[in-house]
Amino acid sequence: MDALSILSADVPHLQESFNSAVVIGTAEIGMTQYILWMIICWLITLAVVMAGAKKLSLVPSGKFSSIVEYGYNFVAKDMGEGVIGHGYKKHVPFLATMFFFILISNFVGLIPGCKTPTGTISVTWALATISFFYFNYYGIKAHGGLAYIKSLAPSGLPKPMVPIIWFFELISLILRWLTLAVRLYGNMFAGHMVLGIFALAASVFLTTGIQAADFLTAGLSIPWFLMVVAMYALETLVAFLQAYVFTILSAVYINLATSSH
Amino acid sequence: MAETTLIIAALKVVGYGLGAIGPGIGIGIACYGCCVASARQPELAGRMFTNFIIGAALAEALALIGFVLAFIM
Repeated sequence: MDALSILSADVPHLQESFNSAVVIGTAEIGMTQYILWMIICWLITLAVVMAGAKKLSLVPSGKFSSIVEYGYNFVAKDMGEGVIGHGYKKHVPFLATMFFFILISNFVGLIPGCKTPTGTISVTWALATISFFYFNYYGIKAHGGLAYIKSLAPSGLPKPMVPIIWFFELISLILRWLTLAVRLYGNMFAGHMVLGIFALAASVFLTTGIQAADFLTAGLSIPWFLMVVAMYALETLVAFLQAYVFTILSAVYINLATSSH
Repeated sequence: MAETTLIIAALKVVGYGLGAIGPGIGIGIACYGCCVASARQPELAGRMFTNFIIGAALAEALALIGFVLAFIM
């Protein structure tokens, strides 16, 4: 059997390893591996922020405290002030929580043997739902219930166009919810799948090459391995970028909901 | 029977590929605009990059819907 057919036979096993499986408790009351890792990431986020904020002073003391403050400032200036503008201060804690949690979840998934909590749709749905309710709540608070629903359609439209545009805006509102969840899930899941397939290919080519004393096949595992390294570098970028995109889109949606058209 | 499943699976991938054309072009144009504008006015590069990320994320939504449909259909 040549290496490629062994590889294609092994891919379903790789896919199965991405499915949710119960690791603690039973199927009725229990935790899948993703939820377990979600709680671990939650604890890491808590530990990082608590450790960073333990000794608050005007000039941050220590490297760790400076890193956490830099991250918080990054959220406040880049996403809060830059996108929301006036009145951004009360939204910064929410945005920073989202940013730190997603960033740590994404980076934990890059450690071999760990699972990324954002690699399952249920966790990202939950995050997107929190964001969706948050910006709608502040929109209703800023405009009042009926006025917020009306304000979906931009003002200054000709009268007969208003219901049609309003309907499209309503669909785009619902799509924001969907895309926030699916963007994070899709990027993390697809990235880990690609990493897994390249790593599997490297090992399959090496073992079949050595077993058959075929040095060309064994040598082909080197480019596969280099691809894993390159993809790993790309995934590190994507892990940061997706946390950034999720947070900045939340900020944009808050801005759209609260500002008057 | 097995062949039908295979054809459906292949069509899903083709459908996703077709759905990814539009967002690909869109993100390409957005990136082009961001690069050209940053070259002309480097002091505004940070703000433009933010806008580029937002625009790219919105254009990407269509490809993501295709990605979801390929899984659930």
